[in-house]
Amino acid sequence: MTDTKNHSGEHATGSPEGRFFQPASLAELAEAIELAFDYRGDVTVSLKSGESIFGYLFNRQVSGSDSYLEMFPSDSSEARHIRYDQVAAIAFTGKDTATGKSWEAWIAKKGPERRAEVERVAAEAKTRGIL
Amino acid sequence: MAVPLSQMATVSKYVLSQKLKGVKRYPLVLMLEPLFRCNLACAGCGKIQYPDHVLDKRLTPEQCWAAAEECGAPIVSIPGGEPMIHPEMPKIVRGLVEQERYIYLCTNAILMERKLDEYQPSKFLTFSVHMDGLRDEHDLAVCRDGVYDVAVKAIKAALKRGHRVTTNTTLFDDANPERVRKFFDAMMELGVEGMMISPGYSYQKAPDQQHFLKRERTRELFSRILGNPKKGWRFNQSPLFLDFLMGRREYQCTPWGNPTYNVFGWQKPCYLLQEGYAKTFRELMDNTEWDRYGTGRNEKCADCMVHCGYEPSAVEDTFGTVSGFGRTVKLTMLPTSR
Repeated sequence: MTDTKNHSGEHATGSPEGRFFQPASLAELAEAIELAFDYRGDVTVSLKSGESIFGYLFNRQVSGSDSYLEMFPSDSSEARHIRYDQVAAIAFTGKDTATGKSWEAWIAKKGPERRAEVERVAAEAKTRGIL
Repeated sequence: MAVPLSQMATVSKYVLSQKLKGVKRYPLVLMLEPLFRCNLACAGCGKIQYPDHVLDKRLTPEQCWAAAEECGAPIVSIPGGEPMIHPEMPKIVRGLVEQERYIYLCTNAILMERKLDEYQPSKFLTFSVHMDGLRDEHDLAVCRDGVYDVAVKAIKAALKRGHRVTTNTTLFDDANPERVRKFFDAMMELGVEGMMISPGYSYQKAPDQQHFLKRERTRELFSRILGNPKKGWRFNQSPLFLDFLMGRREYQCTPWGNPTYNVFGWQKPCYLLQEGYAKTFRELMDNTEWDRYGTGRNEKCADCMVHCGYEPSAVEDTFGTVSGFGRTVKLTMLPTSR
């Protein structure tokens, strides 16, 4: 499987963020989709038709030639249903939201840094009207 | 008694009717997640790590009511995310009350006092306030100072208006038994109806991966906390589940007991694992390979002793065995006899 790393962040976090997969077989495609399903960030799915969809891949069903994935495009409220055999490539283009917020990092931060982060998160919540 | 008689009667009638009908797998509590957006970012939570456009998605009231009807469970727990962020939450709750389901609105209470006027007190509605300990422990767990005090103020305001209020507490391996016992005293002094406790689940996506409890440590910790219970403590959960946490009863997981519905659909197989989504509740029940999950069956389940899988097992024990029924009655009437 072609796997191009677009940046070096992956080594530090174990996240596939920034990777690009161009599977050569159905098995490789299933593997890449499984990785995307487990990924807590947006991906770009390139179809053989030439269309590219950027969004969150939230489900997949592996069932031979009926295998499909489901994703929420970032610019639409309607989920897209895509057959595996329509997919040409998958790129992990969105930020992985489940990395970089480790407890150790939080504890290790000095008091003023933690307070600043608390205030930043609180300000963001206030802007959204949820605090 | 921490759980009102009418609620106990409803749950008993439901479980017995399932048994009479010969239903092997039935849901007890619907976990309804109407959104993933939260106004906190707790260290032990793996529920909210999504891109913004996913966090902005909401279930509609109609979707929530339909899920409750489709599932049929007598109890609906509404976690999230923070459900009180949802602008239509009062409407969602009203609809579920009309269905006569017992609702636990799980909240961090940051918005609770401000929004209390939007909710009518009802025997069907309970605010289940997230409290992970006394002030220092709670504020550390939720990664924000001042939240404990906000929650205490909101609890007092809700109780004053006649609402049912419980607390829900997740414990990790750094919990200090003596401090937890003092926390129980503090919550009882506040006047909450009852408390719910559970060990945390080791979410792979949670920021804090070091403090999740292992099975033996869970039993040891809960034995030290609950081994000599105080007379005034009330728990809004099955006494047999507390026995299980202390290592006094052995259960296999009941992953279908608390099915989860959210913006992605019906989550397979349970509230904690995300292995895919079904379009309908029936599809979830019929097409999930349930025997692949639970203690000794799946490495992801190895250390899990969380309420959403094992409290339904405890309820099944109550209604399915003489010893379970007897012990439930005994511990309900005499909680300090443990």
